Parts: sequence; C-alpha cells; structure tokens
Amino acid sequence: MISQAGAFGGSDAISQSQFLHGSSPRVRLISLRVEDRAGVLQRITNCLARRGLHLASCAVGQGSESGVLNLWLRVDPGTQPADQIVKQLNKLIDVVSVDDLTRSEPIEWAMALVEFRPDGRGDQIEETLRRVRAEVVHRDPERLIAALAGPPDLVQAMLDELSQLPIVDFVCSRPMALGSGSPVTACEPARHAQAGSK
Amino acid sequence: MSSFLAAIDEPGRDLPSAAPAPGATGAEFLLAALVREGVDTIFGLPGGANLPIYQYLPAFPLRHVLVRHEQGAAHMADGYARASGRVGVCLATSGPGALNLITGLATAHFDSVPVVAITGQVATATIGTDAFQESDVIGSCLSVTKHSYQVRDARDLSAVVAEAFHVARTGRPGAVLIDIPKDVQQQPVSVARGSTGRYRVHRAPAPPSSELVARAAAHLAAAERPVILAGRGVAVAGAQGALQRLAEASDAAVGNTLLGTGVFPTRHPLALGLVGFMGTGYCNQAVSDCDCLVMVGMRADDRVTCRLDGFAPRAEHIIHINIDPAELGKTVDADCQIVGDAKQVLEALLEQMPPRPRPEWRAAVDGWRQRHPLRHPHNGLLQPQEVLAACYERLGPDDITVADVGLNQMWAAAAWTGTEPGTFLNSGGQGTMGFALPAAIGAQAANPDRRVMSVCGEGGFMMTIQELATAVEADLPVKVIILNNRQLGMVRQFQDVFYAGVRSQIDHTVTPDFQMLARAFGCHGQVVRSVADLGPAIDAALAYPGPALLDCWIDPEANIYPIVPFGKGLADFVECPES
Repeated sequence: MISQAGAFGGSDAISQSQFLHGSSPRVRLISLRVEDRAGVLQRITNCLARRGLHLASCAVGQGSESGVLNLWLRVDPGTQPADQIVKQLNKLIDVVSVDDLTRSEPIEWAMALVEFRPDGRGDQIEETLRRVRAEVVHRDPERLIAALAGPPDLVQAMLDELSQLPIVDFVCSRPMALGSGSPVTACEPARHAQAGSK
Repeated sequence: MSSFLAAIDEPGRDLPSAAPAPGATGAEFLLAALVREGVDTIFGLPGGANLPIYQYLPAFPLRHVLVRHEQGAAHMADGYARASGRVGVCLATSGPGALNLITGLATAHFDSVPVVAITGQVATATIGTDAFQESDVIGSCLSVTKHSYQVRDARDLSAVVAEAFHVARTGRPGAVLIDIPKDVQQQPVSVARGSTGRYRVHRAPAPPSSELVARAAAHLAAAERPVILAGRGVAVAGAQGALQRLAEASDAAVGNTLLGTGVFPTRHPLALGLVGFMGTGYCNQAVSDCDCLVMVGMRADDRVTCRLDGFAPRAEHIIHINIDPAELGKTVDADCQIVGDAKQVLEALLEQMPPRPRPEWRAAVDGWRQRHPLRHPHNGLLQPQEVLAACYERLGPDDITVADVGLNQMWAAAAWTGTEPGTFLNSGGQGTMGFALPAAIGAQAANPDRRVMSVCGEGGFMMTIQELATAVEADLPVKVIILNNRQLGMVRQFQDVFYAGVRSQIDHTVTPDFQMLARAFGCHGQVVRSVADLGPAIDAALAYPGPALLDCWIDPEANIYPIVPFGKGLADFVECPES
C-alpha cells in the first residue's frame, strides 16, 4: 500500500511510484494458495527473505475454498535462479499450491481509492472521473473519494490522468491474478491421508 | 544394513496403543502420542513452562536423558536420529530453554535429520505480553525448521504430534518444532481431534521421470570418463547397494560428500573419497576431468563445488538426483535434473545401463590416486592420523564415530574406513562446533550395544563439555578422543594460508587438564603424548565400562591437506608439502 497523506506530491509521486509494476525484468508473478493459519504470512515472507528473494508486492484474498488464502506475490529473485521462488515456497507445509504465472498471460486486476478536496472544483473533478471511468464512492463538501479498478496498466494510466487534480491522498492495491494455461509446478492439492473435515 | 531404514517410522509397532482416558491432560495426550510414534528416548531439561509434561512423564514408557544445556538436548536428538534412522526428540522449556535449542535444530535441519523438538510456552493468555520466559520460538526457528506448530488447544495435540513426525521423517527429512503453552499442557481433554485438517503434509515425489532416467542412462552409457558423487541421501534411501552396482557396471569412479562419508566402500578400487574444499586430490582431479558427472543424494554447496565455474568444467553432462527439487539447479546447473528417491532413481538407471568396462578411465584414476596420495608429516610429534588409525582399527563395523567440527572432522573423515550407514556422523551443513559429544551421547542412547567414539578438538569439546555429566549420569559410555592442538587449528591454518599468515586469537593458552576434568565428572581420563602410548590408552578407554576421555596432544602445526584455496576451482587443490 502506498499512502501519502497531506503534502501529496501530485503527478510526480504517481508517476515515480511505479507501484503496479516490477522494476526488474526478472520479477515473477507468483500465485499461492496457502492454509489460512496463524503466522502463515510470516512463513512465506521469511522463506523469501532468508534466501535473498525480494518480495516486491503482495496481495491477499479469499478464494473459493474455505480455510485457504490466495496470495499474489511479485518476487525479484535477485541473483538466485528464478525457479527457486516456486521451489522454496513449495516446500512450506502450509502452502497448498504455488504457480508461477509470469509466462501464462495472467488476467490481473488492481484497485485504487483516490481522495480529492473539491475546493469549488467538484464539477471538474467529477467530469474527469467520468472520463476515466472511475466511480465516486463518497461525496461530502470536504472531500470526494473515487474508486478505480482494472488491469494494472489501466489503473496506472487512470492515476496519471487524475494526478492533474487536487488529490489529497490515494491508496492502491497490488494486483490479484488468475493464470491461464497449466500451472508451472505440479503441486497436487491432495489432502493428507489422515486429513478429514475441520 | 537395511535395518537402518527398516527401523524407520513404523508407528505403533508393539507399543501401548491405549489413548489417555477422557479427562486426561494435554501433557498426557502428548506423551501418549510420542509413545505411539515409537519414541523410546527424550533428551530434555525441565523448566517453568514444561513442568506439566514432566509431571506425567514418569507414568509413560519413555526414557528421559537429563541434559545440562538445551543445545545438548537438540544435538543428542540429532545424534540419536542419525545413528538409528528414527526421529530424535528433545524437550525444553520456554524462553531461554527454547532458544538454546536453535543451534542444534539448525544443525539437524541443515543435514536433513528428522528431529522433533517440543518446547513449553507461557500460558495462552499471557502470550504476547512479554511474560516471564516468553520467547517467540516459532518465529525464531522459522529458518531452521521444516515446519512448526503452536498448539492452542490440547484436543489437537495427538493429531499435531502424528503430523509433526510425518513431516520430520518423510521426503527430505528435517527438524520440526511443537510449541505448547503451559495451560494447554494442563487442559483436560475429553475427545481428541483426529486430524489437523491440513490440505497437504507430505509432497510425495512422483516416481522418477522415465524420460529423464533414460536420458541420464544414455549420457552415462556414452561417457568415457564417468564420475559419481554421493551424499547422505544415498544412506537415507538405503541406496548403497544400487550405488555400488551402478559404479561397477559403468566403471564410474565414486566420490562422496562429507555427509556421504561411508556410503561407498572406502577401499573399493573405484572409491575417490571426499570431494571438494578439503577433498582428496584424486577425487577433485577426477571431477575436474570427467565427461559425465552424476550427483546423487547430495546438495552441491560451496564446500563441494568451490569456484562454481571450475566445477566439472569438462563434463558434457551433469546428472543431479535429489528428493528435494529445490536443490536441483540451485548452484550447479545440471542439464539432467531428476527429482526422486536415490534408491529408486539409481535402480531405474541400472536397468538401462549395459555394463561396460572403461579400463583407460580406471587407469587414469589409479594414476591420480598414486600421484596425489593423502599424506601427513612425520616429524616425531603425535599426528592426528596416527591417533585416528589406532582408534579405527579397534572399532567394529557397526561401531559409531562422531566427529566434531574443524581439523579433527576432516582428519576423521579422511581416515574413515567404515561402510555402514549411520556409523560416521558429523555436522556438515552448519559445521557446529560442540556437536560431537552430545551427538555421540544421543547415538549411544539409540545403540546401547555399540561402541560410540567422539572425535573432537579441545576447542569444540569445551563448547558442550558439560554433557559429560549427562553421559555419566545416564550411563552412556561414550569414548571422547580429543585431538588437542592447544589452538583453533583450522582457523590457524586459514590464517596461515589465506590471511597473510597473521595468527590472530587462535591460541588456547589456558585449557583445563582434561584428564583431571574427566575424572572430576566421573569418567576415565588419560593423556596421550606419543604413538607408543596410543594403543594401550585406547584399549583402556574402550575397556572402561563408563564414559572415557583421551586427551591426545597432537602436533600443534598439523594441517589438513589437500585444500582448495578460496576462490579457486577443484583442480587447484594444494597438497601437503613432502616431509
């Protein structure tokens, strides 16, 4: 999450942030299904950090299975072989499955909330929001909040467009993704023989 | 010795199966679950947060070895596991007790040894309040365990223990931690839950890819200069026989990693001995010259490869076999990477390997063996190789040697002549000084009828010396051989060779009189200063019914050779100067 309250730098901050893209061409988009248990994020971040695999971004969500969290990571393998990311994560007992979506043309989706101070320019703001297909989700005399959603490139472009307006603050989620094609790793989500229902 | 594996992991064999009665405490469910897993020995130390477990311990058929420091408990569980193939168990209290286990858990985990550590934790309600002796042992151990559990409800204990043992022993084995808050140990349980409800516990590797095996077999069959390197995974899989048959079918010369010491008969005409940083000259030469390299049941860490682009530079094909896919392609970029159990893969390879003698290659290897023999100085001072040879010739094939870390370890491995798995133990991945004595105690507990010898320097010995009391108290008659050079010898050699000869902070100008210290602990103790004294001293130590110690004053300038200088390739090994 990027949150810059108060003295927000407008267009510069948005254009310099590049928060929806990895800066290195080696960055991988990793999709994980993990047991929804206490401390599971610590296990994942520790697994990466201890091997010099840099976690550039992380989105967490609930998938279709109960007790399973979905995670989308962008990971820069640094000097390590890129397949170490999947191989090391796959060794974690709490990881149900792990796929490298980088080459599978994944469908990615991100979301942003942008807060404006109308200061008499409400009409101009709302006109711009309509043009970029952002949705106004809150409106009062002091502030106006818009929501944007779409592929990361589009959200970035929308933010660039809005940066001309009097933005007070914004937050942007990391993208979630669904891969197409077959998983890169053969991680069979087979329940342990002893495992039954919870 | 197939029993090394046959003994593994048959939970419930002829053991009391009765679950605790409804209303019994979490501690009782824990202990019953351990018994059900076939545990017979626990190495531990009681303290505030694990006392409920100790309250019920005497009622269970479990031997408890009371250690003097929790690090010793972890090393003992490790030694027990390495020497038996069964899961080792250690038990500590919360806070410092739990944190003291970490070095031992890292040592076991890095060497893929199945150990289950159980720690007490402060009561559930006080977790997170920085309570007395609270420590985040789960967080602290993340990097040194395969998995860990904090049990918040005693109804889960039985299932967690079953799962923890399963995780520790299956696939690539490793260390597993179970952290149990004190109130959970005391919680009455009416009905235990039968499962942790986990999605995946053990990623059983698929059978080795037949396509890859066929490709590997073709590479090996076409090779003129084949070399096989073997690691401890061969012993874990019980693949020694398959390894030997494959080597003989293809006339492949066979080297081993430090942890793989003994997986191939050391006196076999195809044996190359240790590979790597301090490997034999002929092994490193053969790896440097081979056109096909097979690495099986081993990682390829920096101590094996040395300079990566100097590792097997003439190999047209490198075949890497490991049960852990993450080890394939991690350092050495093998063109044929096979995930699988070493025995399965080697046997599949054998089926496709027509025997083919390679007399020219054997002659080349024999030539290197003659040109680069292991040698040591003869200067009138007691040499470590003389001590080790005298010890080894008195041990039987099933007797166990545990080396510490440093020069003593490399000398002990180089001189080793045994072949049974689980009879030469040492800390490879972590290189933990102080490992040998407690690991030997653990190995002795697992094998009461065998002789167990701990080889160490005086530096490493001093790090866990307090466990002599454990050995005496628990009647575990380990024999400690100190190769005493009155200094941190390997550091001294590194400083001499790699750090401009600046000898800095290596002298042990004060060491206790180990002979008297041994006696103070209730052990047999004796000083050995000459070759002439060696035989009778070793005989006396072996004959003594309890723990015994020999303080062998060796040549303080004795080094390990050959050695590959830092930053150089295997072929650049430096040999012992001719004396």
